[in-house]
Amino acid sequence: MSLYYSPNLPEEFRFLAMLHNIGAITPEKALTTDEIAKWTTIDISTVQAHLGRLIDLGYIKTMKTDGTEKYHLSVDGIRKVLTFYS
Amino acid sequence: MKICHITWEYPPRIVGGIARHVEDLTKALAKLGHEVYVVTLEFPGAPSYEELNGVKIYRATSEIGHPHFLTWALLFNHSLEKRVADVGVDFDVLHVHDWLTAPAGIAAKHFLHRPLAATIHSTEYGRSTLQSIDSFTIDSWEWWCTYEADKVIVTTYSMRHEVCGHFRCPWEKTWIIPNAVDSSKFQVNVDRNGVRGRYGVGSNEKLILYVGRLVPQKGVEFLIQAIPRIASRFGDAKFVIVGDGWLRGHLESLANQNGNRWRVNFTGFIPDQELVALMRSADVLVIPSIYEPFGIVALEGMAAGVPVVASQVGGLAEVVEHEKTGEYVYMRNPDSIAWGVERVLSNPGHAAWLVKNGHEAVERVYSWEAVAKKTTELYENIVKEGKRK
Repeated sequence: MSLYYSPNLPEEFRFLAMLHNIGAITPEKALTTDEIAKWTTIDISTVQAHLGRLIDLGYIKTMKTDGTEKYHLSVDGIRKVLTFYS
Repeated sequence: MKICHITWEYPPRIVGGIARHVEDLTKALAKLGHEVYVVTLEFPGAPSYEELNGVKIYRATSEIGHPHFLTWALLFNHSLEKRVADVGVDFDVLHVHDWLTAPAGIAAKHFLHRPLAATIHSTEYGRSTLQSIDSFTIDSWEWWCTYEADKVIVTTYSMRHEVCGHFRCPWEKTWIIPNAVDSSKFQVNVDRNGVRGRYGVGSNEKLILYVGRLVPQKGVEFLIQAIPRIASRFGDAKFVIVGDGWLRGHLESLANQNGNRWRVNFTGFIPDQELVALMRSADVLVIPSIYEPFGIVALEGMAAGVPVVASQVGGLAEVVEHEKTGEYVYMRNPDSIAWGVERVLSNPGHAAWLVKNGHEAVERVYSWEAVAKKTTELYENIVKEGKRK
């Protein structure tokens, strides 16, 4: 379980792993920034910064439901997380 | 027999080597006439049930999540356990792979009153030397898995020593059943120059290939450190590093620091077909691991017909025969790695001899049919023992 002894793992990838583990892996399970902040106990501005970077990398997808922006991992994002656990 | 494999990874959900191992083993077991079931975790786009190559695949939805990995693992085990129950088949034997699905397998063993086989592909002790609380917990889960299983499968003698020594698992409870490769997947014609061109390697340059995760246990940093010595002998050497992992940034910096970043192409993950094409187009495959319970990539290299240079460590030292099916090098030793690469690149006749012998070994010893037959023998053994109890 390399995740637990990987000091070089960037914070946004730790965040990506947490998002994966709380189940935001499909559009139906997408979460808002508020929900993500509560689950991960990370402040909203940091959550937004991580999400921005991970969207740029193609690991997170966004969607709008009733005018609210929600986020979930892309297939590439899931594959990326799985590399941390192997 | 009715056999149920419980695994947290099964294609298209691929984490490490377990997904492909379970896929090929279950296919081969089905081919032998068994009724084979796989219970695994969901993956976007993959159906909750499908039958492929005679294998019935059930995917469980992890209903509740948690940011902490071990808590999440316990939660998804509950989902797997429920899926096993929902399949509603009177299995003859259950089979789990590594600690990650051990809780589901152990629970199923007790509520179905059926024997449990466990394959230990690697141990936390070997992977991490137990440096954190989570690591100790995983180590305990692994012990628990070997304790509860009726038989424990390991792929090499070195893993047998590790499992019996570290977990105090009785010697007679462990069976060695090696890994295998489907060599037909590697016998394809490729446009060698075209493939090399895609990775920035000219037709007359030397292509030195690494395939694997970019984590410390794979020892890739020692290959990067060997580049200056290899390049001093072969000025046209190019390195293609296939795979991903949390160490990637560090390895790229290392290549920068020794002035050879331009020679190295970090590709990340590539599709299976492309990987086969790349293996068939490479001049040498280097496996510089410092911990390797088996080393399936060595078999893949032998099947693809590329000379293998590998650390003399763990299972690799059993899979590769020095100066016969590959070259051993000392682990954590860039000079030794450079020696191995030079030995292959400067002796084309010797390289061809290694390739020929490697291919014969794959066909003779490491076929999925042979592994499925041996696994069936183990299942029959534990079912018979169970009836005696």
